[in-house]
Amino acid sequence: MNERFEISPRLRNTSLALIAVGIIALVAGLFNLKLSHDHVDQTRFWIVLLHNSVFFAMVTVASIFILAATSLAQGGWIVAYRRVPEAIGANMWLFGGIAVVVLLSIVYFFQIDGHNPIFHWVHPDGDAILEGKKAFLNPTMFTAFTVITVALWSYFGFKFRAISLAQDLAPKGKTKLYFYNMKVAALFLVVFCLTMMSTTPWLWVMSIDAHWYSTLFSWYNFASSFVSGMAMIMLWVVYLKNQGNLKIVNKEHIHDLGKFLFAFSVFWTYLWFSQFMLIWYANIPEETTYFKVRMQGPYSIIFYANFIINFIMPILILMARPSKRNYFTVTFMAMIIVFGHWLDFFQMEMPGPLGAHWHLGWYEIGIFAGFIGLFIFAVSKSLAKHSLVTSNNPLLKETIIHQS
Amino acid sequence: MHLKYESSTREPLVEGNKTYHQVTEDICKPIEQKPSRLWYIGFFFSISLLLFGVFSVFWEVYWGIGVWGINRTIGWGWDITNFVWWVGIGHAGTLISAILLLFRQGWRTGVNRAAEAMTIFAVMCAGQFPIFHMGRVWDAFYVLPYPNSRGPLWPNFNSALLWDVFAISTYFTVSLLFWYSGLVPDFATIRDRAKTNLRKRLYGLASFGWTGTAKNWQRHEALSLVLAGLSTPLVLSVHTIVSFDFATSVIPGWHTTIFPPYFVAGAIFSGFAMVQTLLIMVRKIFKLEEYITLAHIERMNKVIVLTGSIVGVAYLTELFMAWYSGVEYEQAAFKWRILGPYWWSYWAMMSCNVISPQFFWFKKLRRNVPFTFIMSIVVNIGMWFERFVIIVTSLYRDYIPGSWSYYSPTWPEVGFYLGTFGLFFTCFFLFAKYFPVIAIAEIKFILKTSGNNYKEKMAPIEEKSVEEFAHEMEHAH
Repeated sequence: MNERFEISPRLRNTSLALIAVGIIALVAGLFNLKLSHDHVDQTRFWIVLLHNSVFFAMVTVASIFILAATSLAQGGWIVAYRRVPEAIGANMWLFGGIAVVVLLSIVYFFQIDGHNPIFHWVHPDGDAILEGKKAFLNPTMFTAFTVITVALWSYFGFKFRAISLAQDLAPKGKTKLYFYNMKVAALFLVVFCLTMMSTTPWLWVMSIDAHWYSTLFSWYNFASSFVSGMAMIMLWVVYLKNQGNLKIVNKEHIHDLGKFLFAFSVFWTYLWFSQFMLIWYANIPEETTYFKVRMQGPYSIIFYANFIINFIMPILILMARPSKRNYFTVTFMAMIIVFGHWLDFFQMEMPGPLGAHWHLGWYEIGIFAGFIGLFIFAVSKSLAKHSLVTSNNPLLKETIIHQS
Repeated sequence: MHLKYESSTREPLVEGNKTYHQVTEDICKPIEQKPSRLWYIGFFFSISLLLFGVFSVFWEVYWGIGVWGINRTIGWGWDITNFVWWVGIGHAGTLISAILLLFRQGWRTGVNRAAEAMTIFAVMCAGQFPIFHMGRVWDAFYVLPYPNSRGPLWPNFNSALLWDVFAISTYFTVSLLFWYSGLVPDFATIRDRAKTNLRKRLYGLASFGWTGTAKNWQRHEALSLVLAGLSTPLVLSVHTIVSFDFATSVIPGWHTTIFPPYFVAGAIFSGFAMVQTLLIMVRKIFKLEEYITLAHIERMNKVIVLTGSIVGVAYLTELFMAWYSGVEYEQAAFKWRILGPYWWSYWAMMSCNVISPQFFWFKKLRRNVPFTFIMSIVVNIGMWFERFVIIVTSLYRDYIPGSWSYYSPTWPEVGFYLGTFGLFFTCFFLFAKYFPVIAIAEIKFILKTSGNNYKEKMAPIEEKSVEEFAHEMEHAH
């Protein structure tokens, strides 16, 4: 089936306007924060960039993950709109690349009075605990892991899309590429285990609070970014549907995505609770210090907002069947979920470097807007490049008659 | 009417040229025939194991916990190891019936009945261990919170052990209801075919007067949906709370935040292995290879390699974090696990749970029945060692070297464990003889979509172009 998506001027202009907001915020940040004499301002300049670039890189890899998972499980439901996660995944190089630049700049170039306010481990300076972690937390290791991770993710992001496009051109009824895709998917899961499910969040996020540790941390990061990634896919599918594209997508498919938003919001809560409750219950000072500042300290409002937005709202609003089949409700909830998990990453990353001096102001919102604009711009470009519906996918007819 | 179609890339789930009637015949046959010699041998062997278990437990109750090998340092030994092991096994059933139902996995219909039965029997076995571990078992009812005549003596609601009492009894109840509600229409089928009066009466009673009317089915579907909704969180909650038994403590090796999801993954891993062990025997003995096909076995093997690898990531994460934390007690706990006198148990766990499932990356091995059978047992040996490692090797090197200890089980502990195998297999043999081991009604539900003969008839649909097909379906709606 051939169905083209044409980027409407409105969408392009919106994305460009958002990017402009981001650039203005960045430039203003450069002058007001980066070049300020205040240490907190300088730190704020970098940590906000880290927050957004890491969040968007992880949200993007979620699309590659869902492609791999559904390919292996032979999921027919996603085939109707799998070009959407494919297009998001194909931009992994962009968001991964931004994350690499930001992270490595912080590690190598950000320094105040001989220490790094974000990654304390860069200069352990006799701190016994950090010295103990030096074999893992050091700039070389960090660079190697970060670059290899992003390179692998980007490769697989391109690869899944390439296979899917090649399938379009393959003779009808040929399943060779379909099974080849499964093999690539299996390989990606191995990569995913060794990156997103373990090392990546340790290095990019957990090492901000370099003394603290939690074995669950990476899985928690996965749940948070995965549900936001599914929400992004939902937003694109609804938008394309509204533009008159994706004719074979109907409420059954939307319902499925809605179920994913619901189920993985609950799954996120499960991991949130597991991590929080076990640390609270055991009450070991080295561990509770992490929640002390977040729950009872200056971040308490974000701590509770995180729980309400990411758990209470989805469970109440998305539980009923009709709400998962209503375009307005699912769109609203998808936006809420993306914002909520952006906030979740915010509360993971800000307390370490900024302490009580956190902001949710022009700079934070501006950079966030810039990333959203870039996301819309880049993904819409990728979507417009090829047909919006796959051809010759062996599960295409199943997806047409799919019932959720 | 919704079109019955599925892609030809999917393997059929019912082999052969089956009609609705043939399905009924095939699955009811073992119930309506006299059991084979093999069945009698197995059944009486299980009963004797069970009796030995009863004797071992009697010995322990009569003389006290002192007849077991546990000591002041190692307060939990085989008893809690076996408890966690059996609860873990009891996970696959509800996962298959509830979560795979939500994921619309048609292949669950071939295996769900036996898996759910296995779940119930495994939870029954698991429950024995904490009860008899109490020592004064006649006071076991103290764990139940109710207004009582014992003054202010209430169970400790802050204790994870008490949460476990609730979690497991809830899980057992809901699993039993789910299993039984699925059995009702099938019991009615057996009743309607019954040639003897006794059989007609008993199955009639068991089927609650099911008549198969539209109203009956409608209520049945509604009930299934409610129970699936209730069971889904239970699949996660039970083993999560079992993990809390350990993780809420401050003992190095026990207190770690990854425990809840990793216990659940491990439980699914061992549960699927046990389903493989049982179903490979069942399909052979009752000649049900056309219903429990190689496709089913392969899919379950995929779940095994996936969950085995998740567990592997968790093991390595724990190990890494023990070093990364910089806490010397954590580091010591893992050092003693891997290099201490119990080193063999750690390596047994690693090789059975993490390394050996990797063989299932190969399609040939996933579809090899004898290999799968051996692997399914290897996995459960590994999962037993996992619990042994977590429990015993976290305890045996205490903070004070003076209380360092070593532990080996005594015969009543081993006998107790063997006895639960007796209980499990006695129940399973009775189930296999008197209950339809495959859900008749549910196989019929997928037959016209996934049955081999029906799939062959779908060739014209596969020939159609997608545009044409999409166009037709638009009008059909």
